[in-house]
Amino acid sequence: MTARPDRVSTGVPIIDQRLGGGFVRPSTILFFSEIPSEKRLFAEHFVITGLRKGETALYVDFFRAPQLARREFASFGSFPEDKLVIVDATSSQLLLPSQERYRIASVDDLDHVVEVIKRALRESRPSRVVVDSMEFLADRFDRKAVMRHWRELIEVAREVGSVMCFLFINWTYGEADVLEIQGMSDFVIEFQTSMRAGILRNTLRLMENRTNGLRTSWVPYTFKDLVGLTVYFPRILVTGPFNAGKSSVVKALSKTSVSVDRLGTTVSFDYGNVDLMGLEAELLGTPGQERFEFIFRIFAREVSGVLLVVDSTQPGQLERARQMLGLVGDGVPFVVLANKSDLPEAMEPAEIRRLMGLAESVPVVPTVATEGKGVREALQRLAEIILGGS
Amino acid sequence: MADVWTELDEVIASLSSVSDIQAVAIVRRDGLVITHNLPSAVEPKIVAAMTAAIVGTSEMATVQLGQGRFMQALIDGEHGKLVSTGAGDEALLVALAYRDANLGLILMALERAAHRIDQILSRTVSAR
Repeated sequence: MTARPDRVSTGVPIIDQRLGGGFVRPSTILFFSEIPSEKRLFAEHFVITGLRKGETALYVDFFRAPQLARREFASFGSFPEDKLVIVDATSSQLLLPSQERYRIASVDDLDHVVEVIKRALRESRPSRVVVDSMEFLADRFDRKAVMRHWRELIEVAREVGSVMCFLFINWTYGEADVLEIQGMSDFVIEFQTSMRAGILRNTLRLMENRTNGLRTSWVPYTFKDLVGLTVYFPRILVTGPFNAGKSSVVKALSKTSVSVDRLGTTVSFDYGNVDLMGLEAELLGTPGQERFEFIFRIFAREVSGVLLVVDSTQPGQLERARQMLGLVGDGVPFVVLANKSDLPEAMEPAEIRRLMGLAESVPVVPTVATEGKGVREALQRLAEIILGGS
Repeated sequence: MADVWTELDEVIASLSSVSDIQAVAIVRRDGLVITHNLPSAVEPKIVAAMTAAIVGTSEMATVQLGQGRFMQALIDGEHGKLVSTGAGDEALLVALAYRDANLGLILMALERAAHRIDQILSRTVSAR
């Protein structure tokens, strides 16, 4: 993907792609949650991504001493430290001297607080700004005054061409206020955590305010040391009829993989760990033969998406492929991999789509799994469908 | 929510204090990791998927062969044993044991732990 000057990368290629190259610059982003969450980690990752591209970033920190903040930034690995400008709002609270160029002398004076941030914005003209975080002000000052200053900050950030991120946990405001704040933002990223039967899941909801309406994506994610936020699909099922090439697909996509196979056929499952394009996924390859269907049923639960592998030279097996898809359940995103597409008798993707009775919108991607051809594209198409955005 | 893991980790800790047990994993029946104290050389995600397949297959075999309810799967290796059992509707429990381990003792400890895991997890399911 070529870098565009009016976009800033989120640091997660697959999310950039979904956004058409990153966040629009300038723009306003709200990192929102009802409870404490990993907003800050995502914000730090976002800042680091800019610093590593040689951009200047401004970080307004109400909670951590600058030394501590810098140390925590370093946990992502090295970055050009002089490009990170910190507005120090803690040293005065802790009665400590500050080494930072921009410091807030008193957090009890809202006008002063906002003035320092504005000055830092105008002088350093950062491409990315993070305010960590707005509930610090919302909890201390009159709501109307906070909202007025909030809008002013957005104005100044627009003037200097920044992407400005506000972290915000809503402790105090009512629903109407939250809607107003969301309305002031071009993007709202809401962090949610849920638990189901002993498994914890993180999801962020990415909403884009556009002239023609709201566009929403649900992005499951995880955090990795030194990498930061990674889109995470906990289970992609790789399935399809006997001898279609499922195990080869798992191997071709995975960094590490394990296969339980005997006499050249999978008798239990294939497992592979994918780490591509800012995306991590666990692939679970099922056996294709009907006698192993009970194994299929064990794993066909909470499936993020399906890579349905078919042998392009075997029209007779497409019915079975359809049936296997039915076993996973309705509504699970899927992509068809028309494998062995290099063989002379291979059917065209359109023909496979027609024989399987699939909608035009279902991608049928020609692949040669043994040579790794087409498999990444298929996974990327699947990721796009899972992340959605309509 | 966090105290669920604290409680599950306590179950793992008490199992690991049984001297014949080397490591333990609690996984879900569909092969996802809930928590574990496996050695770092072992990939827990693969162990979880394997355990799901082992127990799933064993349960099928037990039923198909008319042997009543599935109790546990015992796997004997040259250097050690692997014992897998159900822990309620959602979870499975797998223990790595030393080669000359006292199986009776291990099975007793596992049964007690499985019961406890079931209690912890079903509480969180209903509290959701």
